[in-house]
Amino acid sequence: MIPAVPAVLAEIAGIAVRNALPDVHPADRASSLGLSAALLGMAAEVWDGMAARLVEENRAVRRLLARGGEVGLDLAALAAGSDEDLRISVLKAANDALRAGLIDLHAAAEAKGAAELEAAIWAELRASTERRKLAASPV
Amino acid sequence: MALEPRLAAYIAARMPGARDVAVQDLSRISGGASLETYRFRLLWNEDGAARERKLILRRDPPASLIDTERRIEFEAYRAFAGSAVPVPQMLWLEEADEALDHPFFIAEEIAGFQASPALLFAPPYVSTLAKLGERKWTILGEIAKADAGALGLTEVMEPVAAEACWDRELSYWEKVLDDDAAEPLPITRAAIRWLRANPPPPARKVGVVHGDFRTGNFLYDEAGGIHGVLDWEMCHLGDPLEDLGWSFNPVWSFGQGLAGGLLPRAEAIAVWERASGLTADPAALHWWELFNCVKGQAIWISSARVFLDGGNREPITVYPPWALQNAQDRATLQVMGRL
Repeated sequence: MIPAVPAVLAEIAGIAVRNALPDVHPADRASSLGLSAALLGMAAEVWDGMAARLVEENRAVRRLLARGGEVGLDLAALAAGSDEDLRISVLKAANDALRAGLIDLHAAAEAKGAAELEAAIWAELRASTERRKLAASPV
Repeated sequence: MALEPRLAAYIAARMPGARDVAVQDLSRISGGASLETYRFRLLWNEDGAARERKLILRRDPPASLIDTERRIEFEAYRAFAGSAVPVPQMLWLEEADEALDHPFFIAEEIAGFQASPALLFAPPYVSTLAKLGERKWTILGEIAKADAGALGLTEVMEPVAAEACWDRELSYWEKVLDDDAAEPLPITRAAIRWLRANPPPPARKVGVVHGDFRTGNFLYDEAGGIHGVLDWEMCHLGDPLEDLGWSFNPVWSFGQGLAGGLLPRAEAIAVWERASGLTADPAALHWWELFNCVKGQAIWISSARVFLDGGNREPITVYPPWALQNAQDRATLQVMGRL
């Protein structure tokens, strides 16, 4: 999730302190704390599974990037990485690099008419939205 | 200095017959991610009598997720005053920073109605959804039917040729994504490739596009009536199908499985066609629906960018990317037939 959860939690901590002061307008306080509560709920929902989700996704995308040769792309170095460092910021940086590579792979698969690879990429993209889906998602 | 006395001084200078002008009960309306919106009571004496009016202040924030001009929004509201499209009355537009630090306008408040979609799906509103949907797409059809030139909007909005509508809009929002995305967006990028490879036919008509016509941007009552269409800040000239496509963005279904949470899609199209006198070509409408998934994603990630760059770190800048970015990806897959 962007902005990253720690940065948002730090901001909400500051908002809570500011809204504890007596001179805040009630309408502003209600608006600010109501939205903060909604964000805290979302952070709580994703917290436990975030590292596992990123590792699962990084592995899935690496398997696809390893097939770059089918469409004339050498993505082997990107595909060869691992996820030994389980800090979320590190996993997310790897995820960003991998999904940038996935965009190139997808475009190449479309251009070359590599239907089977393209279908596998769509399947992963579908799965990626299932991993990220929040309980209150409208879609 | 507090906002109230500055606002009162600004208004007093524009009401020469008024005395003792005062602003009371100024409160911010939550939910505006791109503009600051406040409601307040204006009190004054005139001709020996005490008077009062409920008003709205819309002001540019220090940093916004959407770059818009207050004049465009002001003129759009003013153009539809007294028409079949209900809008609040515009009073004053200020484009300079001196009075209240940023450009703003002041309008009447249409009080006593609801805007929040969250209230719609429970009594007493839930029994009026079909009627509300009919009103919603009838009004959108009226916007599509409007003559932009006769309304004076061609003088303030950038012209566009019928065959250029799609490329202008897609290029604009693609650039927003290029500039603001803080992470790769493989689903949105795939949608953009498809949109460029499969352009729609020229617009049947270049008309007024509201730009954000959705459930949540109008004021409704308990009987399925609509009393004000709001948030015209993205209004522009273009293909009326663009607005219809935005109204069908699945993220505005609120999990109800209906267009805008209100009507089956086919019924909404039929209502819009009757009101607008236009035909919604299915292939062209599909293009605009997918385009609007791209536009939606651009708006959500721009909000994250505002937070990341430190321009505005209020919770309202975080809510759209957290709540809607993945939902928009799923909506994109759905429109592309991939979900």
